[in-house]
Amino acid sequence: MDENKVIICRCEDVTLKEIRDAIRKGFTTVEEIKRVTRSGMGPCQGKTCGLLIAKEISQMTGKPMEEIELQSIRPPYGGITFEEVTKGTVMENDK
Amino acid sequence: MRIQNHPILSFNRGKQIKFYYNGKELIGYEGETIAAALYANGIFKFSESKKLKRPRGIFCAIGHCSSCLMTVDGVPNVRTCITPLKDGMRVESENIGVEINE
Amino acid sequence: MSKIQNLELLVVGGGPAGLSAALAAANYGIKVSLTEEREFLGGQLIKQTHRFFGSEKEYAGTRGIDILKKLIDEVNKNNNIEVLLSSRVLGIYEDNIVTILNDHKMKKYYPQSIIFATGASEKFLAFENNDLPGIFGAGAVQTLMNVYGVMPATNVLMIGSGNIGLIVCYQLLQAGVKVAAIVEAAPKIGGYSVHASKLRRLGVPILTSHTIKKAIGKEKVEGAVICELDSNWNEVKGTEQLIKCDAICLSVGLTPLVDLLKQRKVKTTYVSELGGYVPLRDENMETSIKNLFVAGDVSGIEEATAAMIEGQIAGLSVAKRIGKNSKDEIEERIEEAKNELELLRSGPVGKKIRKGLSKLGLNHGKNYNEKFSEEALDISHLMKTGVPSEENLKNKLPSEEKVFDKGPIAISECFQRFPCDPCVKSCPFNAISENGNINNIPYVDFEKCTGCGICVSKCPGLAMFVIHKNFSETTSVVIMPYEFLPRPHKGEIVKVFDREGKYLCDGKVIRILDGKFQDKTAAVSIEIPKEYYLQARNFKVEEGNHG
Repeated sequence: MDENKVIICRCEDVTLKEIRDAIRKGFTTVEEIKRVTRSGMGPCQGKTCGLLIAKEISQMTGKPMEEIELQSIRPPYGGITFEEVTKGTVMENDK
Repeated sequence: MRIQNHPILSFNRGKQIKFYYNGKELIGYEGETIAAALYANGIFKFSESKKLKRPRGIFCAIGHCSSCLMTVDGVPNVRTCITPLKDGMRVESENIGVEINE
Repeated sequence: MSKIQNLELLVVGGGPAGLSAALAAANYGIKVSLTEEREFLGGQLIKQTHRFFGSEKEYAGTRGIDILKKLIDEVNKNNNIEVLLSSRVLGIYEDNIVTILNDHKMKKYYPQSIIFATGASEKFLAFENNDLPGIFGAGAVQTLMNVYGVMPATNVLMIGSGNIGLIVCYQLLQAGVKVAAIVEAAPKIGGYSVHASKLRRLGVPILTSHTIKKAIGKEKVEGAVICELDSNWNEVKGTEQLIKCDAICLSVGLTPLVDLLKQRKVKTTYVSELGGYVPLRDENMETSIKNLFVAGDVSGIEEATAAMIEGQIAGLSVAKRIGKNSKDEIEERIEEAKNELELLRSGPVGKKIRKGLSKLGLNHGKNYNEKFSEEALDISHLMKTGVPSEENLKNKLPSEEKVFDKGPIAISECFQRFPCDPCVKSCPFNAISENGNINNIPYVDFEKCTGCGICVSKCPGLAMFVIHKNFSETTSVVIMPYEFLPRPHKGEIVKVFDREGKYLCDGKVIRILDGKFQDKTAAVSIEIPKEYYLQARNFKVEEGNHG
């Protein structure tokens, strides 16, 4: 299997080769791999790549899945525009 | 291609409308998603991925994977699989012919 | 100051679990706000055209889309439920304040309790060119076909043979799309055998111990390379095969959508049997944070029936906690729901769920009692190929030939223990029995059976057939279920196939039952040469005859 042609993070175009290289370099948490490769930083915020990366870590380091955490999640869920942030809050005086 | 006769379902499509894909006029139905309308017109490739320029289209079709992003009426990164089609909508591919300087 | 609206109960997600939760709480006086990201309710139910299995109480035998109509109707009629469509929960904060985005406006809410019913997302698979256009999740295929009436492709390769993969293949065929093959990495089929048998009769190959190596195509899928796997899940050299197709459907499992729960720091843990990272929760569906509940696939991947019951348990639990009346009655209803859930999970196919739940500290020990009336059948061949063995068939046929002489009789080709009983419930002569346990295999009492054929249209697995061996001196009649277009005409000659989808003979259509009672599963009587009465199990209408 050509690892350069296997896409793990679709949003940020991170290949299986890059993920495995990162693990070999010693980045063995999903959060660290995210910071080094940008996986999980795209619009889907790790929904597609998260489990696959955790599995690679598990297979390459021998750590069981139960001990691997996915990336941390913070609001907002799903992305919003600047306009929504600056002008979107419903205030007490609004109808 | 659209399904005309189905053994279990009947499709109550809304009004037939025009929309534009990269400038080309296409037919869709009001109320269906942009992605469904593009597929019905035989368009599988929506955009290209930003770094590796790989062709991309729908994967989950339900708003989770963000594979179907296109620029709609000037607004970029719209999830076409959950955005309803409107009359006269302008839908454009993203990242095609765009180089990111790293 | 930003406006904050107080709520009694916020239900996040308008799928089967969320709808059931909202109704359960609202029916006991709780004011419910049900928020749904999309502009319509229904979640995954809007695409489920097949009949449900399970028990009558949870709508067994009814199509998913029809169950949904009933639920939405009830929700709309209920004055205690406020539905917020096109409303996405952006964030949930330490103090349980929730921000919801609707029409570009962000509104804050302060709910006393929350039920998360956010469902699940498709798992992705790592293989070469796995991101080509034309590679979809199974749900995507269903969405395009069943919601928007768009053909996703003309020839699909299905990866994964769980219930979703099998059901979607059948739905593809109904939509007029070819299925090149089903590829399954495990040595046996993952879903119910009846789903697989339907597909084998229709000529779809099921390749167990195979996996996909790469997708081929420049701008979209044009083919795929698959290979065989050995017992250690490694590629067997020299077994590469090119499959021509214009779409690849990945049906390799779902994983709970726990993002909002993680924002709130609800404790989650990895349980592979439940699909991935799931919230810790008790038997009342309450998470590690008080007054925050979960229901449906977000609590662990199962199916719609379980989702609806979990929704009821969560909704009732909220009603018991913050409601003012009927606490005893609510407690009774909660116990009823829990018992139903246990029963659904109590058979052999519930083993995986039970194992997963035990890792969360939830043991179905109370009422669980695997008492079956008969020995289990050896279904290893069936689960590998989708085709029953000779032994399996002999087990369901009359033990004496002369039974066939009395007239038409129903034969059940259902050999696997899973919770399902519409066949039993549908027989007006009480001729079908599962001996009191919904997980048992059904058996026909040939003395009572009149061969009326009602069960043929009612079995969700399309596993009931009626055989009239001695219809004439030289011919037999087999009544088969049929859910395709075009429908045949009376008198028409059709091609008849065996359980492996191989052509047997030509047959003549002598009767078609296709009215409201059959609910789109026609029962078609086909006259065939007598020698084929035990093998003829499918037919195809010649397109040319219906120009």
